[in-house]
Amino acid sequence: MRNDVRERRERHDLSQADLAAAVDVSRQTINAIERERYDPSLELAFKLAAFFDCRVEDLFHPSLDADAVDRAVRE
Amino acid sequence: MASTNPSATDRLSRQRTYRRLMVGSIVVAVLLGLGLRALGQPLLGEAVYWLGILAFFGIWFGSPMTLFDERDLAIERRASHLTLLLAGAVLVVGASSVRVLSTLGVYEVPPVASGVLYGYVGLFATFAVVYLWLRYRP
Repeated sequence: MRNDVRERRERHDLSQADLAAAVDVSRQTINAIERERYDPSLELAFKLAAFFDCRVEDLFHPSLDADAVDRAVRE
Repeated sequence: MASTNPSATDRLSRQRTYRRLMVGSIVVAVLLGLGLRALGQPLLGEAVYWLGILAFFGIWFGSPMTLFDERDLAIERRASHLTLLLAGAVLVVGASSVRVLSTLGVYEVPPVASGVLYGYVGLFATFAVVYLWLRYRP
């Protein structure tokens, strides 16, 4: 999933290891999220958002199919 | 932004050390066990093997930190799924081939091959029980 984790981390002058330790995951997990190879759990997404003091939707940008979302809401 | 812990990288480094110790204990125990068996000390080899197993779980549950995170678990789930798919393909094709070849009398399947296929059947039976338990547990 597209995300701004790398941009925000670099803006705060943090290494992947620093961020990983702050949200209690491995450095490889942060790397995988930044490279969009792993979608974090809701819990981790909220932890990351809380760490950067922003909303989850400011950090992660799922490419949602608008029609599918509309259908799901109507159902 | 929340502050980072100054010992953050130390913690990651210790986490890595614990994980290496876990894997190392198993690898060393298996190699030593095989070596001792080859040297005519099978019981001692078995004891060393079990020591390695106990060390593995001792480090895992005794370490003061979480050694595996959610991505490790996700990879484990994916690997398990792919392994089951592979085992399923082997079972479907293998079992059918064995039945046809035996019926036609073309090839008599050795007991070890039948044993492997029954092992796969056992694996899928276990999977079904665990799946149903997870799905319908209160």
